[in-house]
Amino acid sequence: MAKKKPADHAAGSGVTRRGFLGSVGAGAVAAATGAASRAEAVPEITDPEEMVAVALTINGRRHRLLVEPRWTLLFVLRERLCLTGSKAGCERGECGSCTVLVDDEPRYACLTLAVEAEGREITTVEGLLVGEELGDVQRAFAEHDAFQCGYCTPGQVVAAEGLLRANPRPTEAEIRTGMSGNLCRCGAYAHIVKAVADAADGRKTGGGS
Amino acid sequence: MLPKFSHLRPATLREALAALDASDARIHGGGTDLVGCLRDRVFTTERVVSLSAIPELRGIAATGDGGLRIGATATLTEIAGHPAIADRFTAIADAARVVASPQLRNQGTIAGNLCQKPRCWYYRGDFHCLRKGGELCYAYEGENQHHCIFGGDLCYIVHPSDTAPALAALGAVCRVSSASATRSVPVDRLHVPPSVDPRRETVLEPDEVVTELVLPAPPAGLRSSYLKIRSRNAWDFALAGVALALVFDGDIVRSARVFLSGAAPVPWRSTAVEAAITGQALDAATIAAAASAAVAGAEPLSGNAYKLALFEGLVAGQLEAIRG
Amino acid sequence: MTERTDYHIGGTPPETPGNDAAAGPWPATTVVGSRQPRIDAYERVSGTAVYPHDVSLPGMLHGAILRCPHAHARVLAVDTAAAEKMPGVAAVITAATPGADIPWYERDGGFASTLFDPHCRHQGEEVAAVAAETPLQAVDAIRAIRVTYEELPFVVDDTAALAPGAPAIHDGGNLIGEPRVRSRGDIAAGFAEAEVVVEGVYRTSCQIHAPMEPHGSVARWDGNRLTVWDSTQGVYDVQERLAAALELPRSSVRVIGPYMGGGFGSKLETGKYTVIATLLARMTARPVKIFLPREDCFTSTGNRPANTMTIKIGAKADGTLTAIEYASSGSGGAYFGDAGTGALPAYLYQVANLHAIDTTVHTNAGKARPMRAPGVPQAAWALEQAMDELAAKLGLDPLELRLRNIPATLQAGPGLPFTSQHLRECLVKGAEAFGWAEAVARPPDEGHLRRGVGLAAGMWFYSGGPPSTVVVKLHADGSANLNMGASDIGCGTKTWAAMIVAEELGVPLEQIQVEHADTATTQYATSSGGSKTVPSDSPAVLAAARSVKHQLIGFAAEQLGVPADDLVYADLALTSRSDPSKTLKVTEIGMLGRRGVVVGTGYREPNPEGSFTAPTCAQFCEVEVDTRTGGLRILRFLGAHDSGRVLNRLTFDNQVFGGMAMGIGLGVTEERVLDRQTGRMVNANLHDYKIPTMLDVAGDHACLPIDEPDHAFNTTGAKGLGEPATIPTAAAVGNAVARALGVRISDAPLTPRRILDALAAQRKEA
Ligand SMILES: Cc1cc2nc3c(=O)[nH]c(=O)nc-3n(C[C@H](O)[C@H](O)[C@H](O)COP(=O)(O)OP(=O)(O)OC[C@H]3O[C@@H](n4cnc5c(N)ncnc54)[C@H](O)[C@@H]3O)c2cc1C
Ligand code: SF4
Ligand code: FES
Ligand code: FES
Repeated sequence: MAKKKPADHAAGSGVTRRGFLGSVGAGAVAAATGAASRAEAVPEITDPEEMVAVALTINGRRHRLLVEPRWTLLFVLRERLCLTGSKAGCERGECGSCTVLVDDEPRYACLTLAVEAEGREITTVEGLLVGEELGDVQRAFAEHDAFQCGYCTPGQVVAAEGLLRANPRPTEAEIRTGMSGNLCRCGAYAHIVKAVADAADGRKTGGGS
Repeated sequence: MLPKFSHLRPATLREALAALDASDARIHGGGTDLVGCLRDRVFTTERVVSLSAIPELRGIAATGDGGLRIGATATLTEIAGHPAIADRFTAIADAARVVASPQLRNQGTIAGNLCQKPRCWYYRGDFHCLRKGGELCYAYEGENQHHCIFGGDLCYIVHPSDTAPALAALGAVCRVSSASATRSVPVDRLHVPPSVDPRRETVLEPDEVVTELVLPAPPAGLRSSYLKIRSRNAWDFALAGVALALVFDGDIVRSARVFLSGAAPVPWRSTAVEAAITGQALDAATIAAAASAAVAGAEPLSGNAYKLALFEGLVAGQLEAIRG
Repeated sequence: MTERTDYHIGGTPPETPGNDAAAGPWPATTVVGSRQPRIDAYERVSGTAVYPHDVSLPGMLHGAILRCPHAHARVLAVDTAAAEKMPGVAAVITAATPGADIPWYERDGGFASTLFDPHCRHQGEEVAAVAAETPLQAVDAIRAIRVTYEELPFVVDDTAALAPGAPAIHDGGNLIGEPRVRSRGDIAAGFAEAEVVVEGVYRTSCQIHAPMEPHGSVARWDGNRLTVWDSTQGVYDVQERLAAALELPRSSVRVIGPYMGGGFGSKLETGKYTVIATLLARMTARPVKIFLPREDCFTSTGNRPANTMTIKIGAKADGTLTAIEYASSGSGGAYFGDAGTGALPAYLYQVANLHAIDTTVHTNAGKARPMRAPGVPQAAWALEQAMDELAAKLGLDPLELRLRNIPATLQAGPGLPFTSQHLRECLVKGAEAFGWAEAVARPPDEGHLRRGVGLAAGMWFYSGGPPSTVVVKLHADGSANLNMGASDIGCGTKTWAAMIVAEELGVPLEQIQVEHADTATTQYATSSGGSKTVPSDSPAVLAAARSVKHQLIGFAAEQLGVPADDLVYADLALTSRSDPSKTLKVTEIGMLGRRGVVVGTGYREPNPEGSFTAPTCAQFCEVEVDTRTGGLRILRFLGAHDSGRVLNRLTFDNQVFGGMAMGIGLGVTEERVLDRQTGRMVNANLHDYKIPTMLDVAGDHACLPIDEPDHAFNTTGAKGLGEPATIPTAAAVGNAVARALGVRISDAPLTPRRILDALAAQRKEA
């Protein structure tokens, strides 16, 4: 079997209501009406084909570029700026490989439109290096072997950085919750927890960056 | 990969409302749901109007009468971490804290959370189902383990929002504006059951924006909570969830508002549980009665009868916990 | 040979020649066996490692593939006119494009399909592809291709596939090959002898590899020479397959893949996308990159098949097994995947009478590919839970029952001795470290939160072996390069290889650079799969280092005027035993200075005849189940693993924990869901397909290596670990849940739904 007719179970109760469905309004609460004040602020009509200029601050550097509104921040980072540290694992907000900091907060670059990133401070994994030296979270990940294939790792490192910026002294439970938006298929979780805890300790004792 | 659209990010609500007054525009709060829907071609749009640069939609603040105003674009992280919410509107903090993942909470807004599209895997997938304008609900005879046990009619989704049941239980009201008018919609009347219209999720018109949520002052003796059960401990939507807002007088529950998530196409008010506990002390017998009341009249589908036991267990556990 | 899982695609590989330096075991080690962070940690944590998905070449185009949305269909027409006119589109390829009729999916020495086969046997089969200036334009263009399909009747259920009248996926019916039978003794007599018998049917769900880096490649032509960057587990296998498909000499095909974001078996097989990229690149005379969107990875890059396993075990009252009867069925998908699981029940325990049969069928779903210990975790789910049932019926501790049935030999043919086998130590030492005795003695919990412990054992049947060639170059300044073909798929290959060189030559780890996984510049190696990279390549690394050492000793002996066998090599210096004043630093060796570099080549020598190598393991866990909500929490996990010598304790632990995480996925959260109405996968994304997060594998993780070098097997004494690490995990969880609840749930994964349904059934019975 492949395609089915409209479901039998629906026949009695309502597909026939279809005509009615389209026209029914707001359900329980009726909309008030009033005179439209259209005179002011009619937005300029933009064309989906048109590129728009944005200025993005990434790892402290300002980049001015033309983007399509549909470009995600991840696309711009990887395909336009060659910042390939941020990885693409799902492009749907379901894996965490693309995690970047937006004004100190971890977010998925794949669900962030580039045009929405204007005016924010973007930090990628590359931005956590101190010159050529590893940052403290990166160092802790290296020392504790908090990865295997390393593909999820940039996202994990950035998520950890964001967690520690918001909560410099996380408990183990807080680390697990804070890092729960990053999948690691290799399953390096046990070592990731240790690395984040260690990086937090380092900051506590002033050893961090 | 996203389809093409134009994008506007006005600095004032007025401009945003004017921009929405066009044929096919979509509102962008944090974009976590919108971008996903566009990517999956659940729908397309000519124009995305972003609320992210509008200062007046942000912030969380006490109102003069002891209530609270939550700006439409307050993020779930802000809400989860707000001391007054954790303290006086606990259910909302509980709910915000368990939404999706940390990154999504940092980006997702409260209004977007209320107005998000369903998560039925047929709807999100490449199936032209009834809700998307097709002829047939695939879930009814298909893979429906995550679908509803109450309120299904033509379409059998569960409403995906975690914050909606919590807000509804606490009597939150949405302030809604369009270019031409402003109105109030209580959260418990925001969502549209499929029996009314299986192709629409909220009562909002396309040009209407939720601008803020207003919570009434909590009455003395109010305790509230939200808990959801999920098959994986991050990212996942509720298999079952319950928001409780109970006003206690000593041991006695004076009044109760109980909303279930993961149960129905809309946040599901369980008047049966409310009735079972109102006027009662939460002793073992009352709790047992309330737990079975929670699933009385449920109509499970072929693959989700487990939700009955789940709701019973969840409701019992949460009543015990709130009793203290 | 009796048992092998064929990880070398394309037949038995040629063996490599013997080594020129005799090698005995290390007397003691200082680097090998220690905890060493990876030598490429910097690149991986800083974001500077360039994975194939990150490769961008001048002039590069982006490809996208249009796939069949139906479970079973015939392509009647493909209209690409609109797509060809779309902005940025450089080429469109379909079955009709000249040169695109490349045969694909081998069967019986021939092929059963083609690159763009109009007969689409599962959702996700390739129908057309596009190359365009940007990835977005490529996707826009494939969406503009109009395909007319004739939908065909489909079957996605394994049992229904063999029913009379089931849609035929290939000519000749839906059975893949003949059912495989392993048999010994007299099964009827064995059960007649038994005093206790248990029987059960166990099921596992289809698991998807889902490595974090999607599948994909970048292809570039220079005249008739092809270079491909591929996210692969084996560059040489890809080279071989591409050379055959494109009719090129292998030397003209260069495959590069030093970093890759995980595979777990799904990147052993060369992808159609790789060939499609090469064809589009040739059509456009520009490099082409194709990386699959995540949904396509789910439908079209392999899976661990779902299995249904019927098992019956007989034992004497003292626990001695008398017979095992086992039947397993599963689907290889629409092509020739293997769903067999019979090895573990055949060989894990000593049992004289056995009958195990594996049936693999075709269904209209993506082809199975080997996934981390193919077949074995599923078999463990059945066998190890049945063993617990048996223990309960016998009134024996599950640990004790297993200890009474440790196999003396590999019970294939007349019985093959193991080169080493420490299953008993895994069980005993693991139980001790876990606190098994105390945990099982604890009274059951009363309330709705129920704790339980469980254990399961495992064995792995693929040992590794030749060929492998490795080159070590020692520079005049005492630093070294190591050159090997193996991929580092996340197991720390480069690091243990460098550690072996450091151990043998005394070169500090920081001064060793490793080049690998490039067919043009590194030595031949088989693919990294089957837990065989360590046992196959580590002896070759050692032999190469020893060859260097041997040469250095010769040079130094001449320079110092002492016999070579009088010299002791330590800390990059050579000293005379008879006259310790005669000493020379390696960097002072004149010949080394004049040559600039000493090159040592090492080969993997054959495995010993007449014996069998099998890593073994036992895992222990404690769980807590909430009977109200069906919620399952992992409280702690311990893995005791006999994988021979531990090369790097840090990555060894990591590997064990990673195996557990994947096993928890199989046992608790992961399942492919196919819509029964359309045969299409409804959860082809990382949200609805549930890989465990950090919160799902929470709890204490402990790793206990049984660190016994297996010198009868190879010169480093190391056996495989990657696959054993995941073999017993799900079964251990299953046993712990059964102990916690007093009810056995035979179907994985143990979602709240299955747990609540089982509890409801239990209540009904009571
Ligand atoms: C992987 C994943 C997992 C998730 N898990 C959960 C979960 O467990 N629980 C849960 O509750 N949610 C979950 N979500 C859903 C979700 O995206 C959010 O919870 C989030 O809060 C949505 O907010 P947003 O601002 O990003 O919404 P947007 O994407 O900006 O908007 C969502 C919808 O609401 C409309 N909208 C937005 N703002 C307004 C407004 N002010 N007025 C009127 N309409 C508006 C938009 O047009 C759009 O249709 C998940 C999402 C993803 C991608
Ligand atoms: S439950 Fe609703 S959204 Fe899902 S398939 Fe049915 S109609 Fe579509
Ligand atoms: S790529 Fe952004 S979350 Fe997966
Ligand atoms: S290290 Fe491979 S996915 Fe995390």
